[in-house]
Amino acid sequence: MSLIETASLTKDYGPVKALAGLDLRVEPGIIGLVGANGAGKSTLLKILLGLLAPTSGSASVLGMDIGAEAGEIRKVVGYMPEHDCLPPDVGATEFVTHMARISGLPRTAARERTAEVLRHVGLYEERYRQIGGYSTGMKQRVKLAQALAHDPKLLLLDEPTNGLDPGGRDEMLDLIKRTGTDFGISVVVASHLLGEIEQVCTYLLAIDAGRLLQSAPISTFTQRTPVVAVEVEEGADRLAAALSGRGFQARQDGACVLLALEDESLYDAIRDSVAELSLPLVRIQQERRRLEDIFRDDAPAAGGVQ
Amino acid sequence: MNAGNPSAASSPAGSIYDLGYRHYEGKRHGRWFAAWSLYVDSLRGIWGFGRPVSAKAAPFILAGLYALPAVIVLAFSASLSKSIASGATNPADLPNYANYFGGIGTFIVLFLVAQAPEVVCRDQRYQVLPLYFTRAMGRSDYAMARLLSLATALFLVLMVPVIALFIGDILMGTDAFKAVGSEWPKALPSIPSNLLIAASMASIALALSSYSPRRAYAAVGVLAYFLLVEFVPIVIYGIGHEAGAKWVDVLPLLTPITGLTRANDWFFGTPIPADFPSSIGAGAYVLAGLVSTLLFTGILVWRYRRIAA
Repeated sequence: MSLIETASLTKDYGPVKALAGLDLRVEPGIIGLVGANGAGKSTLLKILLGLLAPTSGSASVLGMDIGAEAGEIRKVVGYMPEHDCLPPDVGATEFVTHMARISGLPRTAARERTAEVLRHVGLYEERYRQIGGYSTGMKQRVKLAQALAHDPKLLLLDEPTNGLDPGGRDEMLDLIKRTGTDFGISVVVASHLLGEIEQVCTYLLAIDAGRLLQSAPISTFTQRTPVVAVEVEEGADRLAAALSGRGFQARQDGACVLLALEDESLYDAIRDSVAELSLPLVRIQQERRRLEDIFRDDAPAAGGVQ
Repeated sequence: MNAGNPSAASSPAGSIYDLGYRHYEGKRHGRWFAAWSLYVDSLRGIWGFGRPVSAKAAPFILAGLYALPAVIVLAFSASLSKSIASGATNPADLPNYANYFGGIGTFIVLFLVAQAPEVVCRDQRYQVLPLYFTRAMGRSDYAMARLLSLATALFLVLMVPVIALFIGDILMGTDAFKAVGSEWPKALPSIPSNLLIAASMASIALALSSYSPRRAYAAVGVLAYFLLVEFVPIVIYGIGHEAGAKWVDVLPLLTPITGLTRANDWFFGTPIPADFPSSIGAGAYVLAGLVSTLLFTGILVWRYRRIAA
């Protein structure tokens, strides 16, 4: 059973298309949903949660249709919104207990779960104090705790590191990673920061302007790719021409020449060409593609349905 | 909820004996339980329980003001019974079950102005609604639970003076057992009458409050509605009546407080005062109260079905 599946999911806000025929299918895990601000991340999460109705198309969460089985979906998902969502004049314990009960947990179970999740997110003595007096980092923890209170099967986190300092950011990311790996809960993390996604996620969904840009396991973005970069201090254009002349795919990129690695003879060709042209060689390196590359204009075309 | 189990969590040793994350395997209730939980929490919130002490002041003071005349009657029941027996006091001049709401019903408006925004504005102001709507609860369930909690609170406010008057009347009699038997049929119409008043006024106040995330605006809106819709139809009726227009007879049906006072008269069988149109029977005011309740409940539910979360 796939975690999330959508078929030509579209959402219009008047003339603005927040989602434009999104097709995707992801398996359980820690999923990074990445895109620029306004790419449609929050809209997608809200549609999956039933907060927004799609203009057209269909979607399912954990095999349940978002239209017909919205109530069933809401029982097994936890949602951490991007914005503030905590009343200031109650304590964290009281608030999270209340939310656990709204999720259907009996009174004593709600209290036990609250104590447990607040401990997991790292709130101790301060949990009886009023939320209004909390720091941003503590509020983010309470927001995560209320999403975890009813032990959901899927957590949807919208920009969970918003407003956190670098230390708080790392702690939150660590918490998300533990939730996904140790707790065995699937997580969707929406973020505009690729670095964060790279740090915690096992799978990446990249959307831009309401369309799917990439959908693949994180490892495929960071694994070694068969590209060799040759950096020279000068004459990169001559080197590229020489290597093309020898029948290799070569592309000049600044002071580098990028070559498709098909077999080991490439290295000999590079050595010979550099020697013939007497170029000052800086490095020869098999390149690691970075996640950012997928947002470059010259990046390979969108992967489409995985 | 401060009684929550502190267990190992609050001690630094908690991390040493960390049992790891445990999944919840217990019972999960559905939307009715969720709505009930919200109802209970909301009712506590209206009275300021689980909130700072300052949150308790307004509801208790305003409810106390409404009950004050009845409490005074109760406090002086011994001397009043003597004065009635000697003929110095006419019992009809004292607050009783039938004339209580008509006498100081406007105090109920103050209670609503203070507490109806408390019920619904916070969740919009602090953007808590998405957390509710992504749980085992529908949008209509949310609206209805909130409305029922306010109606319940209002019903309690309305019933306190009834109980005080009941106790006072029993104390005034010589034989307490006989007094209970003769008093309760007189007090009984208070229950259906106050149910209608609570449902009708709570639905108006909550529907209006739900349109503003700011407490102050909501409070002004509720007050403005009860003042304007109370007096404008009566003024137009007065003018039209003198001009001999017949259609103005229906206008008093629109008034929230006067209308409910007439409905209260119907439950107690009190004749309608002479300055009200005789073509409209007291029963019509009961119907008007029910229609208004349905209308404003509909507006409230519609609001929450449409609200962006």
